[in-house]
Amino acid sequence: MADEHHVAHPTPAQYVKIAIGLAVLTAIEVGLFYLNDAVQLGWINTAALLILAFLKFVIVVGWYMHIRYEKAAVSRFFTFGFALAFSLYAVVLISFGVLAVSR
Amino acid sequence: MTAAAHEAQSPHQDLHESTGVENRKLAMWAFLSSEFLFFGALITNYLLYVGREFASGPKPSEIYDIPFTSVSSFVLLMSSLTMVLAHNALSRGDQGATRTWLLATAMLGSVFLAGQVFEFTEFITLENMTLATNPSASAFYVLTGFHGTHVAIGVIMLLSLFGLSKRMGGLTNRQFLNLELVGLYWHFVDIIWIVIFTVVYLLTAVPGAS
Repeated sequence: MADEHHVAHPTPAQYVKIAIGLAVLTAIEVGLFYLNDAVQLGWINTAALLILAFLKFVIVVGWYMHIRYEKAAVSRFFTFGFALAFSLYAVVLISFGVLAVSR
Repeated sequence: MTAAAHEAQSPHQDLHESTGVENRKLAMWAFLSSEFLFFGALITNYLLYVGREFASGPKPSEIYDIPFTSVSSFVLLMSSLTMVLAHNALSRGDQGATRTWLLATAMLGSVFLAGQVFEFTEFITLENMTLATNPSASAFYVLTGFHGTHVAIGVIMLLSLFGLSKRMGGLTNRQFLNLELVGLYWHFVDIIWIVIFTVVYLLTAVPGAS
């Protein structure tokens, strides 16, 4: 049997706190978008938005999809798929010179 | 307490596995892992065209409504919360709360879909940007359309679970795993939108488009 249940999952109140965190990160993203409209932030805007999106991604996968509580094999499996797709398409975008797509 | 509710209190009995992870759950993780390649191709396709100039019609990046899409994103993000609360309620054997949160998740998903229909309608009727206007528009509609299709499939699965629970007086041990699988699928649809919202909308919208 999977050992996913040896570690206690978050409580409903903790899930709500995580959701508030996700909402705040989204608000910061949208705020950055408008800040960049007013003051051109260039690569800082791109980097900040990508980091914020990655944080939200990790939080949902880790806590809502419970990958933190799953067998390591599941985590490796999922990470492999993501890494494979990311690497493949990064190479395509670099090849076509559009990886630095920005505003 | 119904038999279904009693069974759901020990939801991890009778699971089939040979790898330490229940087989159907492992299959879902494998499917979701492969979906990265699917959506990666569609996002890459969009990015390949977004910087190019076309003779006909507007490009999506010129007509995005960022405030509207931000609200849609928030709605989908919150649907992940209601989904995980449904999972949590069933693991506690609370069938009533499970149904409530399942229905809430399906409703939030429907609101997101309605928003997408509204956005597409606006783009087609007011901005004259159809699927055939230019390659950038095609890439946008195919990417967001496929994501919307995934959300619609998720809503159907959520409503099926809700209906099943309502009809049988609760979800059984085997159906607990079904709820877990639907939950994984739903959260995956959410993380794909997290990427689309940032990479396709926020990073490529031209200044003043919003």
